[in-house]
Amino acid sequence: MIQFIIRRFIASIPVLLGVVVIVFILVRVIPGDPCTATLGEKANAERCAEFNARIGLSQPIPVQLGIYLKDVATLDLGTSTKFGRPVIELLVQRLPTTIELTFYALLFAIVVGMSLGILSASRRNSAADVGSMMVANLGVSIPVFVLGLVLAYFFAVMLKGTPLALPGVAAGRLSPGFRFESIAVAWGMKDLAGPPRAVLDFLSNMYTVNGLLTLQFGLFFDALRHMILPAIALGTIPMAIIARMTRSSLLEVMGLDYVRTARAKGLRARTVLFRHGLRNAMLPVVTVIGLSIGGLLSGAVLTETIFGLTGVGLTITEAITSRDYAVVQGVALFVAIVYVIVNLLTDISYGLLDPRVRPS
Amino acid sequence: MTRPSGRLPKFATLLASFAIVAAACTPGPSTAPTGGPTTGPTSQASTAAAIKYPATGEVTCPSGSTAGSYGGKDYKGNMKSIEAPDASTVVFTLCAPDVAFLQKMAFAVFYINDSGWIEKHAADGTIKDTMNGTGPYKLDAWNKGTELTFSKFDNYWNKDKYPLVPNAVLRWSKDSGARLQALQAGQVTGMTLVGPNDFDTVKNDATLLLAPAPEGQALNTLFVGMNHDDAPWDKLEVRKAVSLAIDRQRIVTNFYPAGSEVATHFTPCAIKYACVGPDWPSGGTAADIQQAKDLLTQAGFPNGFKTKIQYRNVFRGYLPQPPVVAQDLKEQLAKIGIDATIDEQDSATYIKNANSGKLDGVFLLGWGADYPEVTNFMDYHFGSGCTAAFGKCLPDISTPLGKGNSTTDDAARTAAYTEANQKLIDDVPMVPIAHGQYANAYLAGTTGAQVSAISTEVMWGMKPPATASDPNTVVLMQNAEPIGLYCADETDGESLRACEQSMEGLYGYTVGGTDVIPVLATSCDPNTDGTVWTCKLRQGVTFHDGSTFDAQDVVTSFAVQWDEANPLHKGNTGIFEYWGGLWGGSLNPAPPATPAPS
Repeated sequence: MIQFIIRRFIASIPVLLGVVVIVFILVRVIPGDPCTATLGEKANAERCAEFNARIGLSQPIPVQLGIYLKDVATLDLGTSTKFGRPVIELLVQRLPTTIELTFYALLFAIVVGMSLGILSASRRNSAADVGSMMVANLGVSIPVFVLGLVLAYFFAVMLKGTPLALPGVAAGRLSPGFRFESIAVAWGMKDLAGPPRAVLDFLSNMYTVNGLLTLQFGLFFDALRHMILPAIALGTIPMAIIARMTRSSLLEVMGLDYVRTARAKGLRARTVLFRHGLRNAMLPVVTVIGLSIGGLLSGAVLTETIFGLTGVGLTITEAITSRDYAVVQGVALFVAIVYVIVNLLTDISYGLLDPRVRPS
Repeated sequence: MTRPSGRLPKFATLLASFAIVAAACTPGPSTAPTGGPTTGPTSQASTAAAIKYPATGEVTCPSGSTAGSYGGKDYKGNMKSIEAPDASTVVFTLCAPDVAFLQKMAFAVFYINDSGWIEKHAADGTIKDTMNGTGPYKLDAWNKGTELTFSKFDNYWNKDKYPLVPNAVLRWSKDSGARLQALQAGQVTGMTLVGPNDFDTVKNDATLLLAPAPEGQALNTLFVGMNHDDAPWDKLEVRKAVSLAIDRQRIVTNFYPAGSEVATHFTPCAIKYACVGPDWPSGGTAADIQQAKDLLTQAGFPNGFKTKIQYRNVFRGYLPQPPVVAQDLKEQLAKIGIDATIDEQDSATYIKNANSGKLDGVFLLGWGADYPEVTNFMDYHFGSGCTAAFGKCLPDISTPLGKGNSTTDDAARTAAYTEANQKLIDDVPMVPIAHGQYANAYLAGTTGAQVSAISTEVMWGMKPPATASDPNTVVLMQNAEPIGLYCADETDGESLRACEQSMEGLYGYTVGGTDVIPVLATSCDPNTDGTVWTCKLRQGVTFHDGSTFDAQDVVTSFAVQWDEANPLHKGNTGIFEYWGGLWGGSLNPAPPATPAPS
């Protein structure tokens, strides 16, 4: 298994290198440049020459690429021209939002999607089956931005002042002015520095995690309330896909001989369904979940925009608009790494679910 | 700056430091002054001696098209020296009179930081992440990606008046619809920049309050430009024909929110001297169309010609609906035989092309005020260092503008801008179209609801209605996150608005208005020719960290922007864009970059 993982990592290096080079060239090919995007109407040739010299864009492109590759090898992803901050710092600040959003969206997608799939498969051709699949089809058909706006309008505006009201569009991650302590401060380690502090600060920026670890339950519940609608909006499409995949896979497995044998042995229907059927039906579902993780981590642009969550998706959108080359390159590299890791984890999980496909 | 504890006199320390620097350095062009803030314990003390920036050498001012010099390097700026004869006086000496001096002092870019704060936080790079001002609110936290939180500064010098409520939060969302929904949901007290299609929604919602710019106060201009260096725009008759063909009222009526105005002059009339001289001639009537056709015939285009209408599809207050305005313009030009194709360009490319004079069709562009002064509109576009968008500068426009920006005499300025406005009509480098209305929205019952063309809405002058979810906290939602909090090195309105909440300048704007008033200065008075401004500083002012405000803070705040060789000339980008734009140039400018081979 270890050898398998190492081989996969080594094999991913050319992929990542290719992503870096292609993205590096692509961002420079698209029209516009950081200077005019940053200075707008006030840009002129003299100021742009100075601007470009400061950020290293006055060098020939091959030289820029060489410098960038050398920097990446030392984990330096460059500095944002828009924010004037290291790209790594921006990722560390903004990644927790996306991770938290992805987690809750995926949780919603898996719990609701698999429940609907199991319900549908176990009561095939019943009203529950038709209803579940209608929900799934609806979910996969509604664009995220429509669902997000509708949910937000209903829960934030129409239900305003009722106990069912939820934070809506542009609500961000916490109520305005909500004050809380970082994990390091709450644990009495405010003088902690270096990588351990960075890890704690990273976790602190996942507010629900922070709330639980530091017993700031006000923070936990406020952050959770702000995640409900974005998670539903983002998780609905994967939920629908998981529901349909679970249904079809489960129906296929439940028709196999060993399931018939289990039934003939007099096992209870629930045992047959969950112990013998569902586990063997999970392989394609896990594949879908794995792909969804990558997609959610990198593709939450619309959800983040609607709900005012400054995560990785919103960051790359802004970076492209402002021709912030370093951020575009850094986020693209990050997304590529995520896909490589998620694919690897998916492959490993196959072996856990089915020993026959365990990598030797 | 002084710390509140009784320590060594700061001013004396400064003097000693400057004396050491002066003794160690031979004044002359080869010496680059450091002249920055000093280190060590300090406290406020008045002194009879003076400090001066630059500490060594003399700045030679530019003359006409000849650059001045300092330290052996060219100098193009208008600032000659900044002196502090005592702890409560600062003297700015300029190379030439600057009629917009007070407006510039009121601009958030030139707000005053504590010198010790700059020394510490510019050096370690954290100055862009935090603020230490003298304003009614102190910054509590910048939760990146989420909000800025502020709370009342208990030692504020004007604490009997401001802030109106103890807490404030600044949030952001790019989409105006999202901001509006957040307001409707009661999540925020107010929002900036209502979408042009949402004006009626806000007006018709009894729980909301629309705060439009007062009549005539829309400080922006949309214009249709033509590069007179390129054919066919090099023919005056063609440019005049375009002006006559455009029915500007039709564009404003159909595509702008209520309250927008047809531009009678290039600069909005709310600004002094903007609208002296004749109004821009009408266009679009049958007689105008016929006259335009005749002019095209005279120019050798009896059957018209083909061209492009160039624009970028970016929402701005001066152009809320770019594609439809471009389409309407196409139809209007077709009436005189000009067959235009629509050329929508990427925003960055478009600006680059405009500023390098590469837009070869008629183009839609505009300008929003940095500060409310006629020079901010006119000089950038038509002054001696004009933008290349319209081609080479036109001396018969730039000459009166030069007269107008170098005198404080009211009659002389009126005469200069009257002449400049007349020459704009005569030469037609562009056609001014509209001043677009903009508005903010608030919860109904909000006290001090404001709207500003120059991002000067101040939350410390607002109070939420009693029915708000938290009446003690103002929550304002703007359209983007601030890029940095050291506004000296920022250009975006969102950063400047953040600074307005916590920082103060020698001058500032009236709450919700555009009149300048003394803030950290009690007065700034010019000498007779307007080249020396003496500012008397307010006493008893403290920064949020407890340091005392004095003249050194003013000198340092300006010096670190002005001098590129100053070790504290650091910020977000290090460009200090507005310094170069508003004061003409820096001391010790970096050598021009070598362009990359392509």
